[in-house]
Amino acid sequence: MELDGRVAVISGGTRGIGRAIAEAFLRDGAKVVVSGRDQAKGDQAIAEMNDELGATGNVAFVQSDATKRADCERLIDTAIEQFGRVDILVNNAGGSKNNAPVAQLTDEAMDYALTVNLWSTLWCTRKALEHMIPQQWGRIINISSVEGKMGKPGLSTYVAAKHAVNGLTKSCAQEVGTLGITVNALCAGAIETDMMKTEGPPAAESMGMTYQGLLDLFAQESAIKRLNEVEDVAAVASLLVSEAGAGITGSLISIDGGTSPY
Amino acid sequence: MGKLDGKVAAITGSTRSIGRAMAEAFLREGASVVVNGRDQAKGEQAIAEMGGGDRLALFVGDAAKQSTAEGIVDYAVERFGKLDIMCLNSGGVQHTAPVAEMSDEEWQLEMDWNLNSVFWGMRRSLQHMIPRNSGRIIVTSSVEGKGAKPGIPGYNTTKHAVCGLVKSAAKEVGTTGITVNALLPGLIETDIVRDTGPESAKMMGLDSYEAMIDMFAQESAIKKPNTVEQVAAVAVLLASDAGRNMTACMFPIDGGTLPY
Repeated sequence: MELDGRVAVISGGTRGIGRAIAEAFLRDGAKVVVSGRDQAKGDQAIAEMNDELGATGNVAFVQSDATKRADCERLIDTAIEQFGRVDILVNNAGGSKNNAPVAQLTDEAMDYALTVNLWSTLWCTRKALEHMIPQQWGRIINISSVEGKMGKPGLSTYVAAKHAVNGLTKSCAQEVGTLGITVNALCAGAIETDMMKTEGPPAAESMGMTYQGLLDLFAQESAIKRLNEVEDVAAVASLLVSEAGAGITGSLISIDGGTSPY
Repeated sequence: MGKLDGKVAAITGSTRSIGRAMAEAFLREGASVVVNGRDQAKGEQAIAEMGGGDRLALFVGDAAKQSTAEGIVDYAVERFGKLDIMCLNSGGVQHTAPVAEMSDEEWQLEMDWNLNSVFWGMRRSLQHMIPRNSGRIIVTSSVEGKGAKPGIPGYNTTKHAVCGLVKSAAKEVGTTGITVNALLPGLIETDIVRDTGPESAKMMGLDSYEAMIDMFAQESAIKKPNTVEQVAAVAVLLASDAGRNMTACMFPIDGGTLPY
């Protein structure tokens, strides 16, 4: 299979986009480490993947908080300890909370968004590169957003953080381009994941609308007039980590049903 | 089981290079494919080499002509009963020249070959796809669809223009189950690049073909050209069911060349 012998680390891979990517990689033969804040949810995710995909022994969970540097670095260490190497890193953990218009925005809200989206990506990437650079092979995928290319009122923390992740993606791609390592960002349109269900309602309030209104806004902005699905993102991730993906790097790939103008 | 079992694809300019790689990838994934080229003998040779049996057919014609761009669509429907995937791939430059020295003839050729052909083929494809509420249109643009190099103004212009056409069409048919996307490959040493490369290099003020290849490679992060297989892999993804929610996407396959 395409990913036989490969080891992937996916931050926040117990549900949503990260989970769909984990399952796609497992189906392609990789060994996978996923993380999450909640041990019980992690155990459940592993049990489900073992059950549904026969992945026993090929998938591990690390209880880890993406806002903590030591936790992010431990994710990479765990992959080395359990499976002996790291070939693929998906920086998928992210989010935002306490959104508000810039005029009323707290430092804490911006700090949280930058930590969970940007700093966590840096921490995991830097640690993973320690292993990828010597082996001259690696695939880093940063889960960005349509909001990494556009902007919405009331969502400046998330918008700023995802734009920053896209910038980090481009610089890192240029640095490691000749070393067999690619670095790309997937700019996903809105998907009704568990995280969206949790963070969407307060974000909508910050934007002066209902949660359903927010979902409708995302859908109406697109050409397909509906939300995206986690499988859309996983399919592109599978392409990027394959051998055929070797020529794609520094790209900010839109998976947004035709929303972003570029 | 292939990702494109039972699907019918047509690809302009597909007896060699990127189009050929797409045809071979689609065949491997189970699709039936109509390939196209100007030369009957070269076309027949390509078909024989690809070995697609009953799932492979040839439509001979110059893709820069409306009769070919529309005819290949009709032929696919006639031969295989429908058209699911249309790859508007044919394009290029005959004679490079800076704007100040560009002839009307060359300019018109590039408009027809790179832009009008895509429009003609896309319009005809949509007429078949819209009633069926299903379809995939994939246009081969270029890294020059977002960037630009001196000496190839017609190419830069038309490759930008097809991106605009792709975005417009994608928004028009977004709710009909049809996606419209563009592929933006970086430099690939295809036959057409080898044919026109020396002249292009001269127009860019470079000493040699090799210097031009090197210049393109140095612009990228990977410092080497791309390959036709890398482009074909993205085409398969966009053509497959997994690509159903990607549309109006300008997909770079350029080793990290473009800034966006």
